[in-house]
Amino acid sequence: MTLVAGVDIGSTTAKCVLLDDGNVVGKSLAPVGVELVRDAEKALEQALGDAHRDRSEIRFVTGTGYGRFKVTFGQEAVTEIGCHARGAHFLFPGTRLVVDIGGQDTKAIRVGERGEVIDFAMNDKCAAGTGRFLDVCAGALGYDVAEIGALSLEARHPLKVTSTCTVFAESEVTSYVARGKDPKDVLAGLHASIASRSFSLMQRVGVAPEVTFTGGVSRNEGMVRALERKVGLHVNVSPLSQYLGAVGAALFGAERLSRPATGGS
Amino acid sequence: MAERPAPSPALTQARDRQRELTDAYYQELARTDSGRKPVAYMLVGGNLAEIVRSFGYELVFPEIVALNCAIKHASLPNILNAEAQGYGLDVCGYVKNDLGLQELGGLTPFGKIPPPDLLVCSFSGCYVYVKWWEALAERYGVPLFMLDVPYLREPTPRKEEIAYVTAQLEELIALLERTTGRSFDRAELVRTLGASRRAEEGWVDYLHAGRQRPSPIEAYFEAVFYMFPINVLRGTPEAAEFYALVNEEVAARVREGQYPVPEEKFRVVVEGVPPYPSYRTFWDFFRRWGAVSVAATYPKVGGLFDQGFLHDPSRPLESIAEYSVGAYVNEAWPLRRELIASYVRDYAADAVVIHGIKSCRSFTAGQGDLRDWLLHERGIPTLYLESDHEDPRYFAPAQIKNRMDAFFESLKPASPAAGGTP
Ligand SMILES: Nc1ncnc2c1ncn2[C@@H]1O[C@H](COP(=O)(O)OP(=O)(O)OP(=O)(O)O)[C@@H](O)[C@H]1O
Ligand code: SF4
Ligand SMILES: [Mg+2]
Repeated sequence: MTLVAGVDIGSTTAKCVLLDDGNVVGKSLAPVGVELVRDAEKALEQALGDAHRDRSEIRFVTGTGYGRFKVTFGQEAVTEIGCHARGAHFLFPGTRLVVDIGGQDTKAIRVGERGEVIDFAMNDKCAAGTGRFLDVCAGALGYDVAEIGALSLEARHPLKVTSTCTVFAESEVTSYVARGKDPKDVLAGLHASIASRSFSLMQRVGVAPEVTFTGGVSRNEGMVRALERKVGLHVNVSPLSQYLGAVGAALFGAERLSRPATGGS
Repeated sequence: MAERPAPSPALTQARDRQRELTDAYYQELARTDSGRKPVAYMLVGGNLAEIVRSFGYELVFPEIVALNCAIKHASLPNILNAEAQGYGLDVCGYVKNDLGLQELGGLTPFGKIPPPDLLVCSFSGCYVYVKWWEALAERYGVPLFMLDVPYLREPTPRKEEIAYVTAQLEELIALLERTTGRSFDRAELVRTLGASRRAEEGWVDYLHAGRQRPSPIEAYFEAVFYMFPINVLRGTPEAAEFYALVNEEVAARVREGQYPVPEEKFRVVVEGVPPYPSYRTFWDFFRRWGAVSVAATYPKVGGLFDQGFLHDPSRPLESIAEYSVGAYVNEAWPLRRELIASYVRDYAADAVVIHGIKSCRSFTAGQGDLRDWLLHERGIPTLYLESDHEDPRYFAPAQIKNRMDAFFESLKPASPAAGGTP
């Protein structure tokens, strides 16, 4: 029995996964606030509660995400790029390309046979085309972000949303609605616009099967379909997709325990 | 880690001397403001320092003034002033720093920058330069000399191209004779070029030290400080003496085992203009990974001396013309990318890091393709980062650090080493 934890403090949510001999035995998910150190603590406590395990059993904690240095009780910090690659490879060993769409970033990651990062590309520092974009547009239409994916799939005459800028897209959406357009058609346009933006990032690192979609936005089935249509390939998703950064982090810890690094400073 | 003893003077003499030279230069400029000497503005790439100085001009390089403002966190007020004048967000930060600074009376934390009596646009390869110098000419109503430099598409310039530039240098000399009332002193120019050449030889020795393992030099972050004399003071005896001193220090580092990165883990080649407003932070992101730059293109914007070009006093004007045509940003991309690949090979580097500046077309346009070429054609791991050389608003530390951490993590085989991630 080797219990390890991965704690992913992203820009939007805190995730924690507990792995025991390679099995997910507990997890947690919560929005992040301003006190990241506390959010990280809470994420771990909740995952322990979920697994009915005690903190003293944990052998290694790895932090990841933007807030990886706020996981003050961790032994190591690894970027979410390495962790999503590792996590995606764990669930879908044939993965060669990972698309992680989180709250603030979109990342395309080329991975090798062992789940190692070969190349990656990310959106610019602005939030265009990320989860935040969908959150804002869902709000503008009066929906919850969890419902918009399914609605977008019911569109009959998908519209074109030209702006990927969060601020401008919001006003574009509002003006469509004001002109009496069907919100489902607007939603389909929004999803297609994110899909094509993500696709250009994917092309930068090279598109190759299998493609695995991770991050919170992968829970949006409309986004999964839009991406598949744009890429022309099947896209892997799983109920664990939002946790794959934390899973990857935990795997780093497990590996560290089985093969201690030598010559580190 | 145990507390390190204070470094011996042999290990700080170069940086100390560079500071002295820089301070003295800016003090001289501030004195020049009272009209003691005429002032010429010039650009760094392929500059004509020796000719213009031989007519008694003091030289101002607004690009260098701008980067000094940025590194001292004094660029934003100038930029905002230029934006209030109507210069857009996408206009090069160097331009905006200068035009804002002019409007605000030339005051910098390192002294007052005098206005120009003459504008020498020594490099026309960047269209923005042309417009910048025209704006200054309009503001001050002073003569503007525009050097048209043919773009370099082959490794060596053609005879006709050199003749074309040489003819323009003769026009410049005629203009300088008119503006100063002095006549051209060829013997003086030959002497000056001799001093330039000595400085260039010393600078090249310094740059080549990056081939050693571990590298006793930091060929980007440190070289940026040490390039000041080669760009600004070239042709003075002080510049030549400076590089002799620098090379003594490099020898002392090797002798005492004091390297810029105490435990060298990664050797990188850096391409692109630095993010001056966050210079230390950016440098730190490298150091935390034990990454040292062993070669870089940016410190060679003033001239690719390490590629074999040195000023030749026996052919003064032709040699200056060759120098101008051979400026790094005047080279076509196939030449630039081969140069970078050769640095990776000759300096035994593990990777290339590119820092792009959206507002700087001459340096940055093409860097995306460069990354792809290095990665796919040459199999060299390459990271592309983006911020700005002058505008502090464009540097997003968390994002840049995230990309760098992910890149260096992936450079490591298998799993990250203990304590690897800073
Ligand atoms: N049930 C859901 N259905 C659809 N989308 C969802 C759902 N839950 C979350 N999301 C989307 O996922 C996003 C958050 O993703 P994630 O948790 O991966 O972010 P993060 O890791 O904090 O961000 P980043 O990696 O960019 O720093 C939200 O902005 C939202 O758009
Ligand atoms: S306003 Fe739009 S383009 Fe600008 S930073 Fe925000 S999302 Fe990005
Ligand atoms: Mg994330």
